Amino acid sequence: MMSAAAAADPQSVLRISLPDEVDGRRVRVGCDVFAIEDVRDSLAKFGDRYLRKVFTASEINDCRGRNQVHSLAARFAAKEAVIKAFAEPDTPFPLREIEVVRDGPLPLLRLSGTIAERARLQGWLSSSLSLSHAECHAMAVVVVVCGPAESE
Amino acid sequence: MQDKVRDVLAAHGRMAVDIREVDDQADLYKLGLTSHAAVDVMLALEEAFDIEFPEEVLKKSSFASVHNITQLVEGLVKAAA
Repeated sequence: MMSAAAAADPQSVLRISLPDEVDGRRVRVGCDVFAIEDVRDSLAKFGDRYLRKVFTASEINDCRGRNQVHSLAARFAAKEAVIKAFAEPDTPFPLREIEVVRDGPLPLLRLSGTIAERARLQGWLSSSLSLSHAECHAMAVVVVVCGPAESE
Repeated sequence: MQDKVRDVLAAHGRMAVDIREVDDQADLYKLGLTSHAAVDVMLALEEAFDIEFPEEVLKKSSFASVHNITQLVEGLVKAAA
């Protein structure tokens, strides 16, 4: 336990600066949580236009069934999580270029077009995606391992 | 045009403020606009102005203020004319 004298002395407090990469590898993380009701509202208001603007044909097909709204909400959360992982807030992010695909029980990330190019420039090597939902909210977490970034 | 943009924001922006009273440079994200509500706003603007938002404008700053949205819509309306 730290003594009272040590606690009072700011110079004695342990400080470390963690490196932003180890062995040339960096990790990027993105997450998002999202209200199911918002997707339900958008579907009611805009129907197919909403679906086609936000989701790929494959995603729309994967989400058919009893939990359609929850599955769509989790995918929207995944797209936002990916955008956060890029940490380039004012770059255009066409939502359909960020796609959740299924590999058996696991969701995987598939990037295309300008998003795939940005990932290449940032040195994205691999990703892991986790989705979840409750009755009211859906969430997604994406972890990306990056190598050296390329200059534009 | 800005009044019509504000009407769309009031109907679809899901912000807990009266958007008609908000300064046109105010940060809408700080006022509660979410990225998903911005999609709804975009879809409603497309209907209201008979335009289509190209994917290259789908970035956060495009929807960050009433001013930015109005400028963007004006440009798209002119391009469509």
